[in-house]
Amino acid sequence: MNRTPAEQTWDEFDTLPSGFADIRKTAADNFKSSGLPTRRVEEFKWTDLRRLIDQPYPPIIGKLHGDIDALIAVSPFAGIAKNRLVFINGLFDQARSKMPDDSNVTITTLSGKPDMDFSLKADDPLDNLNIAYASDGALIRISGKVKDPIELVYISSTKEPATVTTRNIIELDEGAEATILETCTGGKSAYVSNNATEIRLAKGARLDRVRLLDDGPLGIQLSNLIADLGENSKLADFTFIIGGRTVRNQGFATFTGQHAAVNISGAYMLKGKQHADTTLVIDHAVPSCESRELFKCVMDDTSRGVFQAKVIVARDAQKSDGQQTANALLLSDTAEFDAKPELEIYADDVLCGHGATSGDLDNNHLFYLMSRGIPESRARAMLIAAFASSSFEEISNEAVREKFNQIADGWLERQMEV
Amino acid sequence: MLEIKNLHAKVAEEGTEILHGIDLTVNAGEVHAIMGPNGSGKSTLSYILSGREGYEVTEGSVTYKGQDLLQLEAYERAAAGVFLAFQYPIEIPGVATMQFLKVALNSQRKYRGEDELSTPDLMRLVREKSTSLGIKPEMLKRPVNVGFSGGEKKRAEVLQMAVLEPSLCILDETDSGLDIDALRVVAEGVNALRSPDRAMIVITHYQRLLDYIVPDKVHVLSKGRIVNSGGKELALELEKDGYAAYQDDAA
Repeated sequence: MNRTPAEQTWDEFDTLPSGFADIRKTAADNFKSSGLPTRRVEEFKWTDLRRLIDQPYPPIIGKLHGDIDALIAVSPFAGIAKNRLVFINGLFDQARSKMPDDSNVTITTLSGKPDMDFSLKADDPLDNLNIAYASDGALIRISGKVKDPIELVYISSTKEPATVTTRNIIELDEGAEATILETCTGGKSAYVSNNATEIRLAKGARLDRVRLLDDGPLGIQLSNLIADLGENSKLADFTFIIGGRTVRNQGFATFTGQHAAVNISGAYMLKGKQHADTTLVIDHAVPSCESRELFKCVMDDTSRGVFQAKVIVARDAQKSDGQQTANALLLSDTAEFDAKPELEIYADDVLCGHGATSGDLDNNHLFYLMSRGIPESRARAMLIAAFASSSFEEISNEAVREKFNQIADGWLERQMEV
Repeated sequence: MLEIKNLHAKVAEEGTEILHGIDLTVNAGEVHAIMGPNGSGKSTLSYILSGREGYEVTEGSVTYKGQDLLQLEAYERAAAGVFLAFQYPIEIPGVATMQFLKVALNSQRKYRGEDELSTPDLMRLVREKSTSLGIKPEMLKRPVNVGFSGGEKKRAEVLQMAVLEPSLCILDETDSGLDIDALRVVAEGVNALRSPDRAMIVITHYQRLLDYIVPDKVHVLSKGRIVNSGGKELALELEKDGYAAYQDDAA
């Protein structure tokens, strides 16, 4: 296949960031042979990245542009986390960051030449692209129970179209606990943000991760979660997608120890021409683990939501329990939601299920609110927010839920500047 | 307060006429009962008065406090003081009861040009009104009507009425699904709201409710018309003889 201008630009970018030379070279070579996925690749059939990434986005590192502090202020977590790591155009910004002061937390950054190894997901074009060009990221090791949430902020604010690449590793030692709150946002110009996070949970570890993806109106967000769950560990991951032109939100979770649990949930609130796609693969490689996915997706105008989740249960992974649910609220005739839940089960004693629904606002609900004096526009806003916020129940931090409720409540009045 | 003249209405989609010329005048301070068999048009009348979509008024008028009620949207009617207590209160997942009461009351106050109530003031008001109705604070923390029993839903409707202080209350089959104890609590709540500047229309199939909410006038609705009107004794006659006589008349 011919190389697209975007692919050519990446191919020709021969000065890969320093460090990790071997794995970067492998990843770059992998991407050179695969290129961007098209809709003919099953996992991308509703999100044809080759078509969507329609111009060159040369990788950049640093180069501040625009009102960075205004973009940082997009984060709803400022009052909740006492510390913060800020990455601007793929580079750690020490001056705008505040490191946590906790002996159980060790943080280095990728640009600070850490002693950590990536694991490359070689069959995923986005992960190849990420490892090849990742210029910075947070490498967080948690050793005990850490109470204060750790905040990560990623800003993409470039003058010309550009690719901003970050990669993080979050490792929790045996019995460790932590909460990570992330915001991805960006300026008005076109960009590709490729942000990957590897999560490694040792025995009995528990991680809560909550993200707000609120990219700029022309921003393309390629987001990857690669999680490895050890025995008795628990990961609760939540993604609230509200901004960006195109969002591809991938998650790969693999159980490597028994009695572990993962919950990957989220909400979309899309309008205009926004496109958001969550594609998950949950691998029950060992017995007695539990997986949950719940997504509540609101689509207005000509926006499009996609949800694909595959649960794989290995032959000897008995007593696996996997449930996935996606509910869509379509506010216009031209909005679209595509869902594909998939179960690939090789064991015989499992409890797995899935469900997907889509619908409009309920006129009975609307009339009930209006009959109590609430104007129609306000009643609609309340019901839309209520739909999205039912997913926020998956978030254990009450202050975060409250912030997300406020965002959902104000969404209808929010303008998409395109 | 309310004057309905020669009201004809049909279901907008199907085009079936359900109300065939209703005349009814309700003055401030009065409680009117509208009784009738199933399918006589009782609920349709309540929906048309409260502004539900899906019905079309083909003839006649409804004047409320001197203004054309039919010109107002549902939320404007509510702000003007019209309240419908639903036969089947709607469950609204995700909308907290307290938040709902706050937005409803303040939307109405804003529409009427009054100051909005602060959250502490509203909470005080709601707590005060809910105690007498036997509504526990836990119920207020739940989403609107979600997980409420039949009796709790009806009590919650009366609570909304008490908080919103409407001028015209329309109670649609408020007794349905209630046992005698729940009925007594709900009726006491309604009676507490009776006042010289408030009118009530109590729609019911059975006379039972009217033992507790004693009406000034009773109307019999059959096949879309008011076929008889009288005092509270009319309800007792209906209880004894049933609706058969009216249904034969109309046929």
